[in-house]
Amino acid sequence: MRIVLKPLLSFLRMTSLLSLGWLTLIVASPMAFAQNFSKSFTVAPDASQLEVINQTGSIKITAVSGSANKIIVNARQSNGDPKINATQTAQGVVKVEVTGKGAVDFDITVPLATNLDLLSYKGMIVVSNVSGPVRARITTQGNIIFNGLRSPIVEANSAHGDVTFSGDILPSGTYTFKSFSGRVDATLPANADFKLLATSYRSKLELGGFPVKFDKKTDQLVEGQCGQGRANLNLWTQDGSINLHRKL
Amino acid sequence: MECRETMNSLSDYLDGDLWMTDDELQAIEDHLVACPACQSVKQELTELKAAARELPVHTPPRAMWARIVNAIEADVPAAERPTREELPPLRWWERLLERKFTFSLPQLAGASALTVALVLFGIFGVSRLNPGAINISGVQTALLPDEDEIKAGLERKLAAINARKANWDAQARADFDQQLTKIEESLTHCRALLQENPNDKVHQQMVRNLYQEKRQLLEDVERLKW
Repeated sequence: MRIVLKPLLSFLRMTSLLSLGWLTLIVASPMAFAQNFSKSFTVAPDASQLEVINQTGSIKITAVSGSANKIIVNARQSNGDPKINATQTAQGVVKVEVTGKGAVDFDITVPLATNLDLLSYKGMIVVSNVSGPVRARITTQGNIIFNGLRSPIVEANSAHGDVTFSGDILPSGTYTFKSFSGRVDATLPANADFKLLATSYRSKLELGGFPVKFDKKTDQLVEGQCGQGRANLNLWTQDGSINLHRKL
Repeated sequence: MECRETMNSLSDYLDGDLWMTDDELQAIEDHLVACPACQSVKQELTELKAAARELPVHTPPRAMWARIVNAIEADVPAAERPTREELPPLRWWERLLERKFTFSLPQLAGASALTVALVLFGIFGVSRLNPGAINISGVQTALLPDEDEIKAGLERKLAAINARKANWDAQARADFDQQLTKIEESLTHCRALLQENPNDKVHQQMVRNLYQEKRQLLEDVERLKW
């Protein structure tokens, strides 16, 4: 019996060691190959402007409260051989651009009122707490998420991804949310005041109980206003759905 | 008039050609009075014409035509050759096609002018009745007043993109093509709906949204550097 068990035990020990080795290699390899990038730019807090053009990967933008006057760009390159160019123009505009093939994930902090222009060919875009104008676009796949925005102009468009907005809409502001095949979700204050144009080709429009006075209402298009119709809210999806929600 | 010109026109002059002007006739006659050489040629030609008129008229015998027909039909096997009775009765347009028509030059000119007028009326008259609905130059009918302009702008952008697409990452290229195809398919579908009811505002808006989406896609890839 002891003779049978001994080779079995040594086989199990060897297998465990090999598995541990593979596990270490699997966990450590992306860390070993990933390259980090960090750069900081001094900007005018009330007139800062950031443009990011990414190929594949995520873009996360967070506005920091207070009188911050820096745009801090942190990036992690996870595969391929992309090149990150981050520069500041004479007018103070910070431009971050990825060239070459490969994925880069950005984590950028900006002053509250920063004007954002974000483009990603494929990957997620998340913007939080910004109060400057925002334009976000995903060419192919990826979700766009806005949290706690207080921007006068927000324009978001993802080809194959969801667009989710949560924040205030300001009087005379313009808010355009589009997705070719994803969900368009907007959570607005219960007393939101807006003019609405919503078009959905495939599915019904859900207006979340907002008291919209309709100028036109079909299964595919709704035109009307809520309150005085001060802000403009334009929603579009071809193959996805549109849902408004009231923030309680 | 000189001798050479008179000789060239002499045959027509003797035939009493209707197309000759009075001045031309007068010039020939003046020259013949003054030129004995041309006068003698005129005399010879007149005698020749008179002699020719005296010759008997030879009509080819009917048997000759039958021999020609037989020679042609000899090339086709007899089994494949239907007789007139075996053939199905001709329809009215076939009978019409069998007939031979000849037209004079003024008739042909008149028919051409009428054809051109009808075509122009078809294009401009119909487009005036239904503004923006006809694309004279294009294959597809424009359904929005500015659709031709929109399409031309997009085509220019797409041509520029296609020229440099070979340098892209294969996956990026596949994603782009897939997205473009989806938009095009939706456009075709929505346009078909709009075509059924050209004044439907909802479908007009949908077609516009899809053109915007296509433009956005093309502008995105213009900005990206692979």
